[in-house]
Amino acid sequence: MDRIYIEYDNARITKGEGILLNVELYDGRKFENLEARRLFPITGLDKYITLLDEEGVEKAVIRDINTLMEESRENVLNALHEYYLIPKITRIYEAYEKYGLLKMRVDTDRGKYSFDVKNRNNDIKHLYDGRVLIRDSSDNRYEIRDFRQLDKKSQQVFNPYM
Amino acid sequence: MLPENILTNLPFPSEFAKKAEELLAADEKVLFCLVGDLDLKGLYNQSAVLTTDKRIFAFDKYHEGGVLIVDLKDVTESKVKRMYGNAMLRVTCGDKKVDLFRFTYSVASLADGAAIFYENLAKGNDPLKEVELVEATFKKMKSFCPKCGRALSSAGAECINCASKGKLVKKLAGYILPEKGTLLFCFFLSLITTSMALAPPYITKMLVDEVIESSNLKKLYQLVVTLLLIYMVQYTIGTIRGHYMRKAGSRTVTRLRNDIYAKAQYLPMAFYDKISTGSVFARISGDTNNLQAFMLRITQEAIVQAFLAVGIIIIMFSLNWKLTLLSLIPVPLVVLGARYFGQKISPIYRRIWRRWSSVSAILSDTLPGVRVIKSFTSEDRAINKFNSYNNEWLQEDIRASVLANIFPHAVTFFVTCGSLLIWGIGGKWAIDGEITLGLLVSFISYAGMFYGPVNFFASLNDGYQSALTSAERILDIIDAEPEQNFGEGNMVESLKGKIEYRSVNFSFDKIKKTLTNINLVIEPGDIVGIVGTTGSGKSTLVNLFMRFYDNYEGEILVDGVNIKDIDLQSFRSKIGYVQQEALMFRDTIFNNIAYSNPSATVEEVIHAADVANAHSFIAKLPEGYDTMLGERGTGLSGGERQRLSIARAVLKNPSILIFDEATAAVDSETEELIQTAIERLISGRTTLMIAHRLSTLRKANKIIVVDKGEIIEFGSHDELMALKGKYYKLIEIQSMSEKIRKNKEAENFE
Repeated sequence: MDRIYIEYDNARITKGEGILLNVELYDGRKFENLEARRLFPITGLDKYITLLDEEGVEKAVIRDINTLMEESRENVLNALHEYYLIPKITRIYEAYEKYGLLKMRVDTDRGKYSFDVKNRNNDIKHLYDGRVLIRDSSDNRYEIRDFRQLDKKSQQVFNPYM
Repeated sequence: MLPENILTNLPFPSEFAKKAEELLAADEKVLFCLVGDLDLKGLYNQSAVLTTDKRIFAFDKYHEGGVLIVDLKDVTESKVKRMYGNAMLRVTCGDKKVDLFRFTYSVASLADGAAIFYENLAKGNDPLKEVELVEATFKKMKSFCPKCGRALSSAGAECINCASKGKLVKKLAGYILPEKGTLLFCFFLSLITTSMALAPPYITKMLVDEVIESSNLKKLYQLVVTLLLIYMVQYTIGTIRGHYMRKAGSRTVTRLRNDIYAKAQYLPMAFYDKISTGSVFARISGDTNNLQAFMLRITQEAIVQAFLAVGIIIIMFSLNWKLTLLSLIPVPLVVLGARYFGQKISPIYRRIWRRWSSVSAILSDTLPGVRVIKSFTSEDRAINKFNSYNNEWLQEDIRASVLANIFPHAVTFFVTCGSLLIWGIGGKWAIDGEITLGLLVSFISYAGMFYGPVNFFASLNDGYQSALTSAERILDIIDAEPEQNFGEGNMVESLKGKIEYRSVNFSFDKIKKTLTNINLVIEPGDIVGIVGTTGSGKSTLVNLFMRFYDNYEGEILVDGVNIKDIDLQSFRSKIGYVQQEALMFRDTIFNNIAYSNPSATVEEVIHAADVANAHSFIAKLPEGYDTMLGERGTGLSGGERQRLSIARAVLKNPSILIFDEATAAVDSETEELIQTAIERLISGRTTLMIAHRLSTLRKANKIIVVDKGEIIEFGSHDELMALKGKYYKLIEIQSMSEKIRKNKEAENFE
């Protein structure tokens, strides 16, 4: 079966139950209660979003969220925002090592939080676009959108661990 | 009133406690509570779930009135909906789904325990009995070291990481201590050479002030000979010391390497899933050398240089305190500079290490895969990728080199300024007759010598930073949690082969369950075929049995004993494991077969090869059993390598056999040879056979069909065919493709 690609106005995406989405294609086909997942959660946040049914079977793929109709775009973005909890770190208050763990106290777009990083060589990844991805000891993820854009103090605090 | 010793992961927030006390009925018994870190909108906030024997109280500011109450008797279903970085505890009451509590992965395993509790209650189980399961989950959570968070070998055990942690130095000293005799000897020699090094400037002073002034030829020759003797002894001792230092250093690095390699053998598979082998190579080779060089520098040179510096200062002060103070002016600048330099260069060294690790990883990935590269004519792509990674390393190295070079030169410049001060001011004093010419000359020599220790300590920081990075990388392996051997010492002689899986759930990443609720009983001597589509969880099922991963829920038993309670090595030694890709070592065919039992006799090895249908092809090789195999067994076909690996299994004489797609990568004719070898081997032994080609399961008396991590069918071939389910469909598809293949073969033959 050919894969259904959704782009521009060939589908209308509405909000379903919880974080689920309903899709109505231009030819009248309908899919309900689909879950949106990023196929490229690190390298392509807005592109290639797969829509899976309750069994995990892919029903369609959104090529680029930004080409969708405004309402559909909003619904997909909201669903993704709910599904992917990757707090964006906006300020780093503390970063220090204790008992072999890197202990961090930060401010994020979802509020203040403290967490531990087990292995700073494997759990902190600095990407070329300036993003920094961090994984904590419980497998939660955090992101610094652009390390260079952080305030001087935060940069100073975290720089030794980058 | 809430009980004081309430079962909870974190202190129950007082605002929730107050509300709970108002809502709880007098006869209601609080069982446990979970304190979370997210609200229902996914923002960091306090939330909690309090469970009593009658109701669930979910506290979250987005619930109406801040609390949602659900009667336990209304709950029909309960599950944790895992998302990315967060999850939701959800219960179903009739046809209504209710989101109780949202949380990060930090509390996910506790929430799993709560979900199972609600689910079991919905089945009519007794809440007071079921709460034991929740208690066990909480206890498991407390099986983590409160200091470092690492899993303990058993609940309440001492953390092996923290217990041995101490200071970095203390840990590394363990590698140097066996050399203490040699090092003390070298240190003693250093003291002699250093003391001798202090004499020549003083003799120069005597030469200028006393000998040349008074034209005393006899004393001149005496002093020149003394200087010659001093230099001879100094350089001879230096040579002897160099030899012993190198010996001690090499022995230290060997010990360190042996330890890392030994540790790497016992690290769990999960470690290798995350860390590239290239990065482990880099640690065993480069980092150990780096660290060893620094350890010797610090244990020897630092003390010697400090001794030299103190000696020079004492002599200089005794000669002229004013000139001494002049020459010490640059010291504060050097010390402050070293501190600043350390902060700047440390992250660069870490980045260099990472870049080098990436280069090593490419090497270890691509060189063994050179066939793939050639077959896709992607040599240029491989070269470009390597060049690009190597260039990234170069960029970082250049950045470090700029900083690393600026600093010592800046130090030398400041120190030289100090010597100019001595020339300027001391020269004037000599002209004025305040000091002798000999004193000035010897003072300049001592000041020059003093720059040696200053430079040494200035650049020591450079080496220290680099060594610290290496030490961290090495301790990463040495301190890593090894495979847990809960049943250490609990050896088994032999196994009958009864295997049981009880409610086994497993997930690699905590997001997607790879195996769900596996319940299975395999009787001794059963030959069990495991079938299913790719990625269905077949291999994971046997990987758990092999104890490659231990962090699953539920129990796996062999002969009625939990496999975690049996000594790990003893357990694995009773299992024969034949993989899809038969890995051969760079050794002879004989040694490759005897790998499973190094004490096997020649005839036992030949017999094993015979059983595995390998003897006939080995006998035809010009060098027979002495044929040297290359990396990954080059020189042999896939089928031949597979038969050697079966011979290995035969020689091991295991109680239980596992074949993981052993015939997937060979042609039909070879498959037949392997198949007969397998059939000889499995008789009377419990055997698990993962098979892609269902024809290989002709001897299986039971078939397990795995789909999406669950066992969907289990029974004999005939039973499953009668069921007309997934197995029936798979057989249909394969028979059809087999027919097509045979027809094509017939056409080609005609």
